Amino acid sequence: MSWQPELDELARRTAMAEAMGGADKVGRQHQAGRLTVRERIQRLVDAGSFHEVGALSGIGEYDAHGQLRHVTPANCVFGRAAVDGRPVVVVGDDFTVRGGSADASIAAKPLMAEDMAAELRLPIVRVIEGSGGGGSVKTIETKGASNLPGGIGGTRLFWRTTANLAEVPVVGLGLGSVAGLGAARLASTHFSVMTKASAMFVAGPPVVARLGQALDKQALGGADIQTRSGAVDLAVDTEDEAFAATRRFLSYLPSSVHGVAPVQPCDDDPQRADEMLLSAVPRDRRKVYKMRPIIEAVVDRGSFFEMGRNFGRSIIAGLARLQGLPVLLLASDPFHYGGAWGADTCQKVVRMVDLAETFHLPVVYLMDCPGFMIGLEAERSATIRHGVRAMAALNQSTVPWCTVIVRNAFGVAGAAHQPAGRFSLRYAWLSAYWGSLPLEGGIEAAYRAEIEAAPDPKAKLAEIEERLNALRSPFRSAERFWVEEIIDPRRTRALLCDFAKLAEPLRTPGPARLAMRP
Amino acid sequence: MKRTPVPADVAGTVWQIVVAAGETVAAEQELVVLESMKMEIPAVSPHAGVVREILVTQGEAVAEGQVLLVIDAG
Repeated sequence: MSWQPELDELARRTAMAEAMGGADKVGRQHQAGRLTVRERIQRLVDAGSFHEVGALSGIGEYDAHGQLRHVTPANCVFGRAAVDGRPVVVVGDDFTVRGGSADASIAAKPLMAEDMAAELRLPIVRVIEGSGGGGSVKTIETKGASNLPGGIGGTRLFWRTTANLAEVPVVGLGLGSVAGLGAARLASTHFSVMTKASAMFVAGPPVVARLGQALDKQALGGADIQTRSGAVDLAVDTEDEAFAATRRFLSYLPSSVHGVAPVQPCDDDPQRADEMLLSAVPRDRRKVYKMRPIIEAVVDRGSFFEMGRNFGRSIIAGLARLQGLPVLLLASDPFHYGGAWGADTCQKVVRMVDLAETFHLPVVYLMDCPGFMIGLEAERSATIRHGVRAMAALNQSTVPWCTVIVRNAFGVAGAAHQPAGRFSLRYAWLSAYWGSLPLEGGIEAAYRAEIEAAPDPKAKLAEIEERLNALRSPFRSAERFWVEEIIDPRRTRALLCDFAKLAEPLRTPGPARLAMRP
Repeated sequence: MKRTPVPADVAGTVWQIVVAAGETVAAEQELVVLESMKMEIPAVSPHAGVVREILVTQGEAVAEGQVLLVIDAG
Protein backbone atom coordinates (compact mmCIF):
# COMPACT_ATOMS: atom_id res chain seq x y z
CA MET A 1 0.00 0.00 0.00
CA SER A 2 1.41 3.38 -0.94
CA TRP A 3 0.52 6.72 0.67
CA GLN A 4 -1.45 7.79 -2.39
CA PRO A 5 -4.62 8.80 -0.43
CA GLU A 6 -2.60 11.09 1.78
CA LEU A 7 -0.73 12.45 -1.24
CA ASP A 8 -4.10 13.26 -2.79
CA GLU A 9 -5.21 14.98 0.38
CA LEU A 10 -1.99 17.02 0.43
CA ALA A 11 -2.76 18.18 -3.11
CA ARG A 12 -6.36 18.99 -2.20
CA ARG A 13 -5.33 20.98 0.85
CA THR A 14 -2.61 22.78 -1.10
CA ALA A 15 -5.18 23.77 -3.72
CA MET A 16 -7.40 25.19 -0.96
CA ALA A 17 -4.49 27.27 0.28
CA GLU A 18 -3.82 28.56 -3.20
CA ALA A 19 -7.47 29.51 -3.63
CA MET A 20 -7.03 31.97 -0.73
CA GLY A 21 -10.33 33.59 0.31
CA GLY A 22 -12.22 32.14 -2.67
CA ALA A 23 -13.01 33.29 -6.19
CA ASP A 24 -15.39 36.07 -5.05
CA LYS A 25 -12.89 37.68 -2.71
CA VAL A 26 -10.05 37.30 -5.20
CA GLY A 27 -12.24 38.92 -7.85
CA ARG A 28 -13.00 41.80 -5.53
CA GLN A 29 -9.29 42.30 -4.86
CA HIS A 30 -8.60 42.44 -8.60
CA GLN A 31 -11.53 44.79 -9.25
CA ALA A 32 -10.04 47.19 -6.73
CA GLY A 33 -6.85 47.20 -8.81
CA ARG A 34 -4.84 45.17 -6.35
CA LEU A 35 -3.01 41.88 -6.68
CA THR A 36 -3.48 38.95 -4.32
CA VAL A 37 -0.72 38.14 -1.87
CA ARG A 38 0.37 35.14 -3.95
CA GLU A 39 0.53 37.21 -7.13
CA ARG A 40 2.51 39.83 -5.26
CA ILE A 41 5.08 37.37 -4.01
CA GLN A 42 5.35 35.82 -7.47
CA ARG A 43 6.05 39.19 -9.08
CA LEU A 44 8.44 40.29 -6.36
CA VAL A 45 10.81 37.33 -6.37
CA ASP A 46 12.77 35.39 -9.00
CA ALA A 47 10.49 33.17 -11.12
CA GLY A 48 9.65 29.89 -9.42
CA SER A 49 11.84 30.61 -6.38
CA PHE A 50 9.15 30.87 -3.70
CA HIS A 51 9.25 28.06 -1.16
CA GLU A 52 6.27 28.45 1.13
CA VAL A 53 6.22 27.49 4.79
CA GLY A 54 2.93 26.62 6.46
CA ALA A 55 0.67 26.58 3.40
CA LEU A 56 -1.66 24.04 5.05
CA SER A 57 -2.43 26.21 8.06
CA GLY A 58 -5.88 27.67 8.47
CA ILE A 59 -9.27 26.88 9.90
CA GLY A 60 -10.65 23.47 8.84
CA GLU A 61 -14.35 22.60 8.55
CA TYR A 62 -15.38 18.96 8.83
CA ASP A 63 -18.66 17.15 8.28
CA ALA A 64 -20.40 14.90 10.86
CA HIS A 65 -18.21 11.99 9.76
CA GLY A 66 -15.02 13.90 10.26
CA GLN A 67 -14.51 14.35 6.52
CA LEU A 68 -12.81 17.59 5.47
CA ARG A 69 -15.12 20.05 3.79
CA HIS A 70 -12.90 23.09 3.46
CA VAL A 71 -9.92 24.88 4.92
CA THR A 72 -9.98 28.67 5.10
CA PRO A 73 -6.28 29.45 4.86
CA ALA A 74 -4.55 31.60 7.44
CA ASN A 75 -4.17 35.11 6.10
CA CYS A 76 -0.41 35.15 6.41
CA VAL A 77 1.63 33.67 3.56
CA PHE A 78 5.37 33.36 4.03
CA GLY A 79 8.46 31.51 2.95
CA ARG A 80 11.87 31.71 1.37
CA ALA A 81 12.56 32.95 -2.12
CA ALA A 82 15.32 34.51 -4.20
CA VAL A 83 15.72 38.09 -5.37
CA ASP A 84 18.32 38.51 -8.11
CA GLY A 85 19.59 35.10 -7.13
CA ARG A 86 20.06 36.01 -3.45
CA PRO A 87 17.89 34.32 -0.80
CA VAL A 88 15.31 36.39 1.09
CA VAL A 89 12.30 35.82 3.34
CA VAL A 90 8.92 37.13 2.18
CA VAL A 91 5.87 37.48 4.41
CA GLY A 92 2.55 38.77 3.13
CA ASP A 93 -0.96 39.51 4.34
CA ASP A 94 -3.80 37.85 2.45
CA PHE A 95 -6.49 40.51 2.27
CA THR A 96 -8.95 38.06 0.67
CA VAL A 97 -9.21 36.25 3.99
CA ARG A 98 -11.08 38.44 6.47
CA GLY A 99 -9.50 41.64 5.25
CA GLY A 100 -6.00 40.66 6.28
CA SER A 101 -6.88 41.24 9.91
CA ALA A 102 -5.62 39.21 12.80
CA ASP A 103 -9.04 37.56 13.20
CA ALA A 104 -7.98 35.01 10.59
CA SER A 105 -4.35 34.96 11.53
CA ILE A 106 -2.16 32.43 13.18
CA ALA A 107 0.21 34.56 15.21
CA ALA A 108 3.02 32.06 14.93
CA LYS A 109 3.27 32.53 11.15
CA PRO A 110 4.46 36.14 10.82
CA LEU A 111 6.62 35.54 13.88
CA MET A 112 8.31 32.54 12.29
CA ALA A 113 8.95 34.58 9.15
CA GLU A 114 10.74 37.22 11.23
CA ASP A 115 12.62 34.58 13.24
CA MET A 116 13.62 32.78 10.07
CA ALA A 117 15.01 35.98 8.54
CA ALA A 118 17.07 36.70 11.64
CA GLU A 119 18.30 33.12 12.13
CA LEU A 120 19.08 32.46 8.46
CA ARG A 121 20.54 35.98 8.20
CA LEU A 122 18.35 36.93 5.25
CA PRO A 123 16.56 40.13 4.27
CA ILE A 124 12.83 40.17 4.95
CA VAL A 125 10.20 41.80 2.78
CA ARG A 126 6.88 42.48 4.51
CA VAL A 127 4.02 42.69 2.00
CA ILE A 128 1.41 44.44 4.08
CA GLU A 129 -2.31 44.95 3.61
CA GLY A 130 -4.76 45.23 6.48
CA SER A 131 -4.31 45.67 10.20
CA GLY A 132 -2.75 42.38 11.25
CA GLY A 133 -2.86 43.19 14.94
CA GLY A 134 -5.22 42.23 17.70
CA GLY A 135 -8.07 41.92 15.24
CA SER A 136 -11.32 43.82 15.38
CA VAL A 137 -13.27 44.57 18.53
CA LYS A 138 -15.36 41.52 17.60
CA THR A 139 -12.46 39.37 18.75
CA ILE A 140 -13.44 40.15 22.33
CA GLU A 141 -16.66 38.22 21.81
CA THR A 142 -15.18 35.32 19.85
CA LYS A 143 -12.35 34.86 22.36
CA GLY A 144 -14.37 35.77 25.44
CA ALA A 145 -11.60 38.03 26.76
CA SER A 146 -9.86 41.21 25.77
CA ASN A 147 -6.37 41.03 24.34
CA LEU A 148 -3.62 42.75 26.31
CA PRO A 149 -1.28 44.11 23.62
CA GLY A 150 2.10 42.68 24.46
CA GLY A 151 0.55 40.42 27.09
CA ILE A 152 1.99 37.04 28.05
CA GLY A 153 2.81 34.99 24.97
CA GLY A 154 2.16 37.92 22.67
CA THR A 155 5.36 39.91 22.80
CA ARG A 156 7.76 38.31 20.38
CA LEU A 157 6.33 39.69 17.14
CA PHE A 158 6.46 43.20 18.58
CA TRP A 159 10.05 42.56 19.57
CA ARG A 160 11.05 41.20 16.15
CA THR A 161 9.23 44.04 14.38
CA THR A 162 11.92 46.42 15.60
CA ALA A 163 14.78 44.09 16.60
CA ASN A 164 15.24 42.79 13.07
CA LEU A 165 16.36 46.26 11.99
CA ALA A 166 19.66 45.52 13.70
CA GLU A 167 19.99 42.10 12.04
CA VAL A 168 18.87 42.04 8.40
CA PRO A 169 17.56 44.42 5.73
CA VAL A 170 13.84 44.97 6.32
CA VAL A 171 11.59 46.27 3.54
CA GLY A 172 7.91 47.12 3.99
CA LEU A 173 5.38 47.40 1.18
CA GLY A 174 2.03 49.02 1.95
CA LEU A 175 -0.37 47.78 -0.72
CA GLY A 176 -3.91 48.72 0.19
CA SER A 177 -5.19 50.03 3.51
CA VAL A 178 -2.67 49.54 6.26
CA ALA A 179 -3.52 50.26 9.89
CA GLY A 180 -2.54 49.39 13.44
CA LEU A 181 0.16 46.72 13.68
CA GLY A 182 0.24 46.66 9.88
CA ALA A 183 1.23 50.34 9.91
CA ALA A 184 3.80 49.65 12.62
CA ARG A 185 5.36 46.84 10.56
CA LEU A 186 5.47 49.15 7.53
CA ALA A 187 7.07 52.03 9.42
CA SER A 188 9.55 49.81 11.26
CA THR A 189 11.69 49.14 8.20
CA HIS A 190 14.88 50.30 6.52
CA PHE A 191 12.92 51.12 3.39
CA SER A 192 9.16 51.44 2.93
CA VAL A 193 7.09 51.81 -0.20
CA MET A 194 3.37 52.39 -0.74
CA THR A 195 1.32 52.65 -3.90
CA LYS A 196 -0.40 55.99 -4.43
CA ALA A 197 -3.77 54.24 -4.16
CA SER A 198 -2.86 52.90 -0.72
CA ALA A 199 -3.31 54.51 2.66
CA MET A 200 -1.54 54.01 5.97
CA PHE A 201 -2.68 55.18 9.39
CA VAL A 202 -2.62 54.32 13.05
CA ALA A 203 -6.41 54.09 12.87
CA GLY A 204 -8.70 54.55 9.88
CA PRO A 205 -11.43 57.07 9.02
CA PRO A 206 -14.27 55.58 11.13
CA VAL A 207 -12.17 55.79 14.29
CA VAL A 208 -10.79 59.21 13.42
CA ALA A 209 -14.33 60.46 12.76
CA ARG A 210 -14.92 60.14 16.49
CA LEU A 211 -12.36 62.93 16.93
CA GLY A 212 -14.52 65.10 14.71
CA GLN A 213 -12.16 64.69 11.76
CA ALA A 214 -14.18 63.71 8.70
CA LEU A 215 -11.42 62.45 6.41
CA ASP A 216 -11.37 59.77 3.77
CA LYS A 217 -8.52 57.24 3.62
CA GLN A 218 -6.43 59.29 1.20
CA ALA A 219 -6.85 62.56 3.08
CA LEU A 220 -5.92 60.84 6.34
CA GLY A 221 -3.06 58.59 5.32
CA GLY A 222 -2.49 58.76 1.57
CA ALA A 223 0.91 58.80 -0.08
CA ASP A 224 1.15 62.59 0.05
CA ILE A 225 0.65 62.60 3.80
CA GLN A 226 2.87 59.64 4.62
CA THR A 227 5.83 60.41 2.35
CA ARG A 228 5.94 64.03 3.52
CA SER A 229 5.65 63.00 7.16
CA GLY A 230 8.57 60.62 6.70
CA ALA A 231 6.58 57.55 7.78
CA VAL A 232 6.95 56.02 4.30
CA ASP A 233 9.99 56.46 2.05
CA LEU A 234 8.57 56.11 -1.44
CA ALA A 235 5.21 56.29 -3.21
CA VAL A 236 4.76 54.57 -6.58
CA ASP A 237 1.94 54.24 -9.11
CA THR A 238 1.87 50.46 -9.44
CA GLU A 239 2.58 47.41 -7.30
CA ASP A 240 5.14 46.27 -9.88
CA GLU A 241 7.09 49.50 -9.27
CA ALA A 242 7.04 48.74 -5.55
CA PHE A 243 8.53 45.29 -6.24
CA ALA A 244 11.17 46.79 -8.55
CA ALA A 245 12.12 49.35 -5.88
CA THR A 246 12.44 46.54 -3.32
CA ARG A 247 14.78 44.53 -5.55
CA ARG A 248 16.85 47.61 -6.27
CA PHE A 249 17.13 48.59 -2.59
CA LEU A 250 18.28 45.08 -1.63
CA SER A 251 20.93 45.07 -4.37
CA TYR A 252 22.95 47.68 -2.42
CA LEU A 253 22.90 45.80 0.87
CA PRO A 254 24.45 42.71 2.40
CA SER A 255 22.03 39.90 3.28
CA SER A 256 22.54 40.68 6.96
CA VAL A 257 24.76 42.65 9.31
CA HIS A 258 27.07 39.62 9.30
CA GLY A 259 28.23 40.31 5.76
CA VAL A 260 29.20 43.18 3.49
CA ALA A 261 27.38 44.42 0.41
CA PRO A 262 28.22 42.77 -2.92
CA VAL A 263 30.40 44.82 -5.26
CA GLN A 264 29.06 44.89 -8.81
CA PRO A 265 31.10 45.15 -11.97
CA CYS A 266 31.29 48.78 -13.14
CA ASP A 267 31.88 50.00 -16.67
CA ASP A 268 31.77 53.70 -15.78
CA ASP A 269 35.23 55.30 -15.93
CA PRO A 270 36.39 56.25 -12.41
CA GLN A 271 38.32 59.13 -14.01
CA ARG A 272 35.21 60.53 -15.71
CA ALA A 273 35.41 64.29 -15.15
CA ASP A 274 32.14 66.00 -15.98
CA GLU A 275 32.88 69.51 -17.29
CA MET A 276 29.57 70.76 -15.85
CA LEU A 277 30.97 70.43 -12.33
CA LEU A 278 33.26 73.45 -12.77
CA SER A 279 30.29 75.78 -13.19
CA ALA A 280 27.65 73.85 -11.23
CA VAL A 281 27.73 76.24 -8.25
CA PRO A 282 26.78 79.85 -9.10
CA ARG A 283 29.31 82.52 -8.11
CA ASP A 284 26.42 84.58 -6.70
CA ARG A 285 25.94 83.10 -3.25
CA ARG A 286 22.28 84.05 -3.19
CA LYS A 287 21.58 81.79 -6.14
CA VAL A 288 20.69 78.14 -5.73
CA TYR A 289 21.63 75.23 -7.99
CA LYS A 290 20.47 71.67 -8.56
CA MET A 291 22.32 69.06 -6.52
CA ARG A 292 20.87 65.94 -8.17
CA PRO A 293 22.75 66.43 -11.49
CA ILE A 294 25.95 66.81 -9.43
CA ILE A 295 25.23 63.48 -7.73
CA GLU A 296 24.66 61.84 -11.12
CA ALA A 297 27.93 63.28 -12.35
CA VAL A 298 30.05 61.82 -9.57
CA VAL A 299 28.60 58.37 -8.77
CA ASP A 300 28.53 55.38 -11.14
CA ARG A 301 26.23 56.32 -14.00
CA GLY A 302 22.60 55.58 -13.13
CA SER A 303 23.46 54.10 -9.73
CA PHE A 304 21.83 56.68 -7.44
CA PHE A 305 18.74 55.32 -5.66
CA GLU A 306 17.06 58.08 -3.69
CA MET A 307 15.13 57.33 -0.49
CA GLY A 308 12.67 59.55 1.35
CA ARG A 309 12.66 62.33 -1.22
CA ASN A 310 9.60 64.10 0.19
CA PHE A 311 10.81 64.26 3.78
CA GLY A 312 13.61 66.31 5.36
CA ARG A 313 14.23 67.71 1.94
CA SER A 314 17.29 69.80 2.81
CA ILE A 315 19.16 66.51 2.59
CA ILE A 316 18.97 64.29 -0.45
CA ALA A 317 19.73 60.75 0.70
CA GLY A 318 20.07 57.38 -0.93
CA LEU A 319 22.26 54.54 -2.02
CA ALA A 320 24.77 54.74 -4.84
CA ARG A 321 27.79 52.94 -6.23
CA LEU A 322 31.37 54.05 -6.71
CA GLN A 323 33.20 51.68 -9.03
CA GLY A 324 30.56 49.14 -8.11
CA LEU A 325 30.90 49.54 -4.34
CA PRO A 326 27.61 50.43 -2.61
CA VAL A 327 27.74 53.58 -0.47
CA LEU A 328 25.27 55.72 1.41
CA LEU A 329 25.08 59.13 -0.19
CA LEU A 330 23.99 62.32 1.56
CA ALA A 331 23.83 65.60 -0.32
CA SER A 332 22.43 69.01 0.52
CA ASP A 333 19.58 70.48 -1.50
CA PRO A 334 19.91 74.28 -1.62
CA PHE A 335 16.41 74.52 -3.10
CA HIS A 336 15.06 73.65 0.34
CA TYR A 337 15.91 76.50 2.72
CA GLY A 338 19.35 76.78 1.18
CA GLY A 339 20.17 73.32 2.57
CA ALA A 340 19.61 74.35 6.22
CA TRP A 341 18.80 71.50 8.57
CA GLY A 342 15.37 71.56 10.21
CA ALA A 343 14.19 68.99 12.74
CA ASP A 344 12.88 66.75 9.95
CA THR A 345 16.14 66.85 8.03
CA CYS A 346 18.03 65.96 11.21
CA GLN A 347 15.77 62.92 11.74
CA LYS A 348 16.47 61.84 8.18
CA VAL A 349 20.23 62.18 8.70
CA VAL A 350 20.05 60.02 11.85
CA ARG A 351 18.12 57.28 10.08
CA MET A 352 20.38 57.26 7.04
CA VAL A 353 23.64 57.28 9.00
CA ASP A 354 22.25 54.47 11.17
CA LEU A 355 21.42 52.49 8.02
CA ALA A 356 25.00 52.92 6.80
CA GLU A 357 26.41 51.96 10.18
CA THR A 358 24.17 48.89 10.45
CA PHE A 359 25.14 47.50 7.04
CA HIS A 360 28.76 48.72 6.87
CA LEU A 361 28.17 51.11 3.98
CA PRO A 362 30.79 53.82 3.49
CA VAL A 363 29.26 57.31 3.57
CA VAL A 364 29.75 60.12 1.06
CA TYR A 365 28.39 63.56 1.96
CA LEU A 366 28.22 66.32 -0.64
CA MET A 367 27.76 69.23 1.70
CA ASP A 368 26.24 72.68 1.35
CA CYS A 369 24.77 73.58 4.72
CA PRO A 370 24.31 77.18 5.88
CA GLY A 371 23.39 75.96 9.37
CA PHE A 372 20.38 74.77 11.29
CA MET A 373 17.01 76.27 10.44
CA ILE A 374 16.34 79.45 12.38
CA GLY A 375 13.17 81.20 13.47
CA LEU A 376 10.21 80.50 15.72
CA GLU A 377 9.03 77.37 13.89
CA ALA A 378 12.53 75.93 14.08
CA GLU A 379 12.67 76.53 17.84
CA ARG A 380 9.19 75.08 18.33
CA SER A 381 10.20 71.86 16.60
CA ALA A 382 13.32 71.44 18.77
CA THR A 383 15.67 71.81 15.81
CA ILE A 384 18.69 72.10 18.06
CA ARG A 385 18.03 68.86 19.94
CA HIS A 386 17.31 66.96 16.73
CA GLY A 387 20.42 68.66 15.38
CA VAL A 388 22.75 67.45 18.10
CA ARG A 389 21.15 64.02 17.77
CA ALA A 390 22.16 64.00 14.10
CA MET A 391 25.63 65.18 15.09
CA ALA A 392 25.81 62.33 17.62
CA ALA A 393 24.83 59.81 14.92
CA LEU A 394 27.73 61.04 12.77
CA ASN A 395 30.11 61.00 15.70
CA GLN A 396 29.09 57.47 16.76
CA SER A 397 29.52 56.07 13.28
CA THR A 398 32.50 53.85 12.52
CA VAL A 399 32.06 53.32 8.75
CA PRO A 400 34.50 54.93 6.31
CA TRP A 401 33.45 58.51 5.60
CA CYS A 402 34.22 61.08 2.92
CA THR A 403 32.89 64.64 2.86
CA VAL A 404 33.02 67.03 -0.08
CA ILE A 405 32.29 70.63 0.92
CA VAL A 406 30.50 71.98 -2.14
CA ARG A 407 29.64 75.41 -0.82
CA ASN A 408 28.46 76.46 2.65
CA ALA A 409 29.60 75.12 6.01
CA PHE A 410 28.32 77.33 8.79
CA GLY A 411 27.70 76.97 12.49
CA VAL A 412 27.14 73.78 14.44
CA ALA A 413 25.30 72.12 11.52
CA GLY A 414 28.35 73.08 9.47
CA ALA A 415 30.55 71.18 11.89
CA ALA A 416 28.30 68.14 11.59
CA HIS A 417 29.79 67.16 8.26
CA GLN A 418 32.09 64.35 9.31
CA PRO A 419 32.56 62.09 12.35
CA ALA A 420 34.39 64.43 14.70
CA GLY A 421 36.28 61.90 16.78
CA ARG A 422 38.22 60.04 14.11
CA PHE A 423 39.98 60.37 10.78
CA SER A 424 37.92 60.70 7.61
CA LEU A 425 38.54 62.06 4.13
CA ARG A 426 37.52 65.60 3.25
CA TYR A 427 37.74 67.75 0.15
CA ALA A 428 36.55 71.32 -0.43
CA TRP A 429 35.43 72.61 -3.80
CA LEU A 430 36.71 75.97 -5.08
CA SER A 431 33.26 77.37 -4.26
CA ALA A 432 33.55 76.41 -0.57
CA TYR A 433 32.61 79.12 1.88
CA TRP A 434 32.47 78.77 5.63
CA GLY A 435 32.48 80.40 9.01
CA SER A 436 31.10 80.28 12.52
CA LEU A 437 28.06 82.10 11.24
CA PRO A 438 27.08 83.75 7.96
CA LEU A 439 28.25 87.36 7.64
CA GLU A 440 24.75 88.61 6.96
CA GLY A 441 23.24 89.46 10.31
CA GLY A 442 26.39 88.37 12.11
CA ILE A 443 28.24 91.62 11.35
CA GLU A 444 25.56 93.78 12.94
CA ALA A 445 25.90 91.77 16.12
CA ALA A 446 29.68 91.59 16.29
CA TYR A 447 30.50 95.14 15.16
CA ARG A 448 27.52 97.01 16.66
CA ALA A 449 29.57 99.71 18.44
CA GLU A 450 31.71 100.43 15.38
CA ILE A 451 28.68 100.61 13.09
CA GLU A 452 26.63 102.81 15.43
CA ALA A 453 29.54 105.23 15.90
CA ALA A 454 30.03 105.70 12.16
CA PRO A 455 28.59 108.80 10.45
CA ASP A 456 27.11 106.52 7.75
CA PRO A 457 26.27 103.17 9.44
CA LYS A 458 25.17 101.56 6.16
CA ALA A 459 28.42 102.38 4.44
CA LYS A 460 30.33 101.17 7.49
CA LEU A 461 28.46 97.86 7.40
CA ALA A 462 29.32 97.41 3.72
CA GLU A 463 32.94 98.28 4.40
CA ILE A 464 33.23 95.71 7.19
CA GLU A 465 31.51 93.09 5.06
CA GLU A 466 33.99 93.66 2.22
CA ARG A 467 36.91 93.52 4.65
CA LEU A 468 35.76 90.21 6.12
CA ASN A 469 34.82 88.68 2.78
CA ALA A 470 38.36 89.18 1.57
CA LEU A 471 39.46 86.90 4.42
CA ARG A 472 36.80 84.30 3.59
CA SER A 473 38.77 82.60 0.82
CA PRO A 474 39.06 78.87 1.51
CA PHE A 475 42.68 79.12 0.43
CA ARG A 476 43.41 81.13 3.59
CA SER A 477 41.89 78.30 5.65
CA ALA A 478 44.01 75.82 3.71
CA GLU A 479 47.13 77.83 4.59
CA ARG A 480 46.32 77.28 8.25
CA PHE A 481 45.61 73.58 7.55
CA TRP A 482 42.04 73.97 8.77
CA VAL A 483 41.01 72.12 5.63
CA GLU A 484 43.12 69.41 4.03
CA GLU A 485 42.49 69.86 0.33
CA ILE A 486 40.83 72.22 -2.08
CA ILE A 487 40.04 70.50 -5.35
CA ASP A 488 38.97 71.09 -8.91
CA PRO A 489 35.33 69.88 -8.71
CA ARG A 490 35.82 67.87 -11.90
CA ARG A 491 38.15 65.56 -9.96
CA THR A 492 35.37 64.67 -7.48
CA ARG A 493 34.39 61.36 -9.07
CA ALA A 494 37.99 60.18 -9.31
CA LEU A 495 38.57 61.03 -5.65
CA LEU A 496 35.32 59.37 -4.52
CA CYS A 497 36.20 56.21 -6.46
CA ASP A 498 39.60 56.33 -4.79
CA PHE A 499 37.79 56.60 -1.44
CA ALA A 500 35.68 53.56 -2.34
CA LYS A 501 38.81 51.52 -3.02
CA LEU A 502 40.24 52.57 0.34
CA ALA A 503 36.95 51.91 2.12
CA GLU A 504 36.21 48.48 0.63
CA PRO A 505 38.57 46.45 2.85
CA LEU A 506 37.63 48.51 5.93
CA ARG A 507 34.02 47.31 5.94
CA THR A 508 33.74 45.16 9.05
CA PRO A 509 30.88 42.65 9.31
CA GLY A 510 29.01 42.22 12.58
CA PRO A 511 26.26 43.88 14.59
CA ALA A 512 26.63 47.63 15.02
CA ARG A 513 27.48 48.93 18.48
CA LEU A 514 24.06 50.57 18.69
CA ALA A 515 20.99 48.66 17.51
CA MET A 516 19.19 50.65 14.84
CA ARG A 517 15.78 52.05 15.71
CA PRO A 518 13.04 52.79 13.17
CA MET B 1 -9.07 71.90 -17.69
CA LYS B 2 -6.50 70.77 -15.15
CA ARG B 3 -5.63 73.51 -12.68
CA THR B 4 -2.38 72.97 -10.82
CA PRO B 5 -1.70 75.01 -7.70
CA VAL B 6 2.01 75.77 -7.30
CA PRO B 7 2.85 75.90 -3.58
CA ALA B 8 5.83 77.54 -1.89
CA ASP B 9 8.39 74.85 -1.08
CA VAL B 10 9.83 77.05 1.64
CA ALA B 11 8.61 79.78 3.98
CA GLY B 12 10.02 83.17 3.03
CA THR B 13 9.15 86.39 1.25
CA VAL B 14 8.25 86.90 -2.38
CA TRP B 15 11.44 88.30 -3.92
CA GLN B 16 10.35 88.46 -7.54
CA ILE B 17 7.33 87.45 -9.61
CA VAL B 18 8.86 86.30 -12.86
CA VAL B 19 5.75 85.55 -14.92
CA ALA B 20 2.45 87.36 -15.59
CA ALA B 21 -1.10 86.00 -15.62
CA GLY B 22 -1.97 84.66 -19.05
CA GLU B 23 1.65 83.88 -19.88
CA THR B 24 2.53 80.51 -21.42
CA VAL B 25 5.19 78.69 -19.44
CA ALA B 26 7.32 75.61 -20.02
CA ALA B 27 7.89 72.79 -17.53
CA GLU B 28 10.64 73.67 -15.00
CA GLN B 29 10.38 77.38 -15.84
CA GLU B 30 10.94 79.80 -12.95
CA LEU B 31 7.64 81.35 -11.91
CA VAL B 32 8.27 83.13 -8.64
CA VAL B 33 11.49 83.64 -6.72
CA LEU B 34 11.24 83.47 -2.96
CA GLU B 35 13.80 84.75 -0.52
CA SER B 36 14.47 82.35 2.32
CA MET B 37 17.55 81.84 4.51
CA LYS B 38 19.06 84.81 2.60
CA MET B 39 18.92 82.88 -0.64
CA GLU B 40 16.82 83.26 -3.78
CA ILE B 41 14.83 80.07 -4.18
CA PRO B 42 12.78 79.72 -7.33
CA ALA B 43 9.38 78.04 -7.54
CA VAL B 44 9.25 76.31 -10.91
CA SER B 45 6.40 75.15 -13.12
CA PRO B 46 5.51 71.48 -12.58
CA HIS B 47 4.45 71.20 -16.24
CA ALA B 48 3.90 73.29 -19.36
CA GLY B 49 0.80 75.47 -19.28
CA VAL B 50 -0.68 78.90 -18.91
CA VAL B 51 -0.48 81.02 -15.76
CA ARG B 52 -4.09 81.31 -14.67
CA GLU B 53 -3.82 83.32 -11.50
CA ILE B 54 -1.10 84.82 -9.32
CA LEU B 55 -2.03 84.77 -5.66
CA VAL B 56 0.88 86.64 -4.05
CA THR B 57 2.49 90.05 -4.34
CA GLN B 58 6.12 91.09 -4.24
CA GLY B 59 7.46 91.47 -0.73
CA GLU B 60 4.69 89.34 0.79
CA ALA B 61 5.60 86.80 3.46
CA VAL B 62 4.51 83.29 2.52
CA ALA B 63 4.23 80.10 4.53
CA GLU B 64 5.60 76.72 3.46
CA GLY B 65 2.94 75.08 1.32
CA GLN B 66 1.06 78.32 0.59
CA VAL B 67 -0.21 78.44 -3.00
CA LEU B 68 1.71 81.06 -5.00
CA LEU B 69 -0.07 80.75 -8.33
CA VAL B 70 -2.22 78.46 -10.42
CA ILE B 71 -1.23 76.93 -13.76
CA ASP B 72 -3.60 75.49 -16.36
CA ALA B 73 -2.41 72.47 -18.30
CA GLY B 74 -1.45 73.68 -21.79
